[in-house]
Amino acid sequence: MIQIEHLHKTYRSGFLMKPKQALKDVSFKVEPGQVYGFIGPNGAGKSTTIKVLTGLLNYDAGKVLVNGISPRDVKSRTFLGYSPEQPYFYDYLSGRELLQFYGKLVGLDGKELDSRIQWALELLHADKDWIDRRLRSYSKGMMQRVGIAQAILGKPKLLILDEPMSGLDPMGRRDVREAIQTLNRDGVTIFYSSHLLSDVESISHKVAMIVDGKIVREGTVDEITESCGVEYHVRTRQAILAADLPEGVTPAGHPQECVCSDDAARDRLLSFCLSHGIAIEKMDHKRPSLEDILTEEIARADS
Amino acid sequence: MPTLKHIGIIALNTFRESIRDKILYNIIFLAIALTLFSIVLGEWSVFDRSYVIKSTTLSVMSLSGLLISIFVGISLVQKEIQRRTVLTLLSKPISRASFIVGKYLGLLAVVAVHLTILTCIFYLMLAVISASPTLSLLTAVYLIFCEMAIVIAVALLFSSFSSTVLSALFTLGIYFAGHLSNQLLEQVRFASRMGEMDATSTALFEKAAVVIHAVFPGLYRFNVTNYVVHGVALPDMYLFWNTIYAVGYVGVFLAIASWWFSRRDFL
Repeated sequence: MIQIEHLHKTYRSGFLMKPKQALKDVSFKVEPGQVYGFIGPNGAGKSTTIKVLTGLLNYDAGKVLVNGISPRDVKSRTFLGYSPEQPYFYDYLSGRELLQFYGKLVGLDGKELDSRIQWALELLHADKDWIDRRLRSYSKGMMQRVGIAQAILGKPKLLILDEPMSGLDPMGRRDVREAIQTLNRDGVTIFYSSHLLSDVESISHKVAMIVDGKIVREGTVDEITESCGVEYHVRTRQAILAADLPEGVTPAGHPQECVCSDDAARDRLLSFCLSHGIAIEKMDHKRPSLEDILTEEIARADS
Repeated sequence: MPTLKHIGIIALNTFRESIRDKILYNIIFLAIALTLFSIVLGEWSVFDRSYVIKSTTLSVMSLSGLLISIFVGISLVQKEIQRRTVLTLLSKPISRASFIVGKYLGLLAVVAVHLTILTCIFYLMLAVISASPTLSLLTAVYLIFCEMAIVIAVALLFSSFSSTVLSALFTLGIYFAGHLSNQLLEQVRFASRMGEMDATSTALFEKAAVVIHAVFPGLYRFNVTNYVVHGVALPDMYLFWNTIYAVGYVGVFLAIASWWFSRRDFL
């Protein structure tokens, strides 16, 4: 569905056209049927990548294919739906008029257009009175729902959403999450960026992490978090002297608690406890979250 | 076919957007007021009342058409970019050329409606004061429309890569150059014939005037107010050739605007 290989993009700004490299050798692939999360801090290159995919930005080097076609070709957008970050629309139109306008642009008309608008509004829980009000009176959340509704009107095969959950209250986030999952069950491939990592963890089949214009991690959430190791927090019934702790096991601030850095250290601690008759009271394993890993990657890029 | 359909949808939306613009109404009301004021001018003037009313109203049509073309035309594309509505629009299977042509046709329709309203008022006014409302006046109105078609294309061209203020200044520059290029060439040739300049200066000025005359659209061709008002017949095929001339310039300007717009990045 999406194929990006060695993508480079440099912006030039200011009077002296000072270059700033926004994307540095970005490569990843989104397979049909996936929900693909794209995460990273502000200014990392998420929106730039999305705008390259939607043909809104030209790129300097690399290969980009959307539905097998270069985004420079209008045909690549035939089966594409896109909702930008903080969508803005013609505020002199009502939500329904706006959807009619975009629906006509994707080839819908008459009863088919009306039924498709109704379907999109119901999916996003937006079939309320406010849809017939002028857009200038809309809240951020209403605008976000209309933005996603216009993106799905043409029943796209690929849906690209830039920060679809920003500006939404918890109910709104849940509605959008459910809409994404429903569309995906219907066969739509979804590529989206988000700051809300808990949402990304819960609905994405695969995730790419971009920091400072480079992809630093890619894979399923499990693959990414497992690659960073698992820690075991152990609480024993008796205190163990720090000097006696096996290799890879460190004290955790309490005489009866320690932390094993990996599986081997855990096994060494268990053997030690068995041989010394020390009972284990509790053992938890802790995997780093996407947030932990992202924070670590940002710190690494800054340093 | 989908391209034509897209152009039509964008043109219709542009028309709807423009007719909600307050600037448009200010210009239209001002134009109507000035048109009615021409009756008073006709009474005050030492010239023939009918001549004053007709020439003033045609000038008002031209000027108000210019103001609409510049102030509404330039903001059309700039507003789409600044308000970021262009992001959603261009992510649809629409070429950027269709976007530019759609915007152009939408505004052209606004100018056409504006001129139609003024023409109706014009004829009504002439009928009321019995000032011979001849059909030949429509020729002048049609040529004003052709002139505005070029000016809108120029405004869209500049607004596809420049800021609002600069686009307005550039468009006004082209408008004045287009109206004065013929006079400039004649003046340079006259000065040359009269021997007022040395040979080098004459050659240099003449070449510059010829280039300006050739490159800028000759908008003076579309001002036939004096002919029409005095009942002087225009040459045969004048309307046809000037329509072709306008269509040619519009095509070139829109092609450049589309090409430039296609190269743009939208952040």
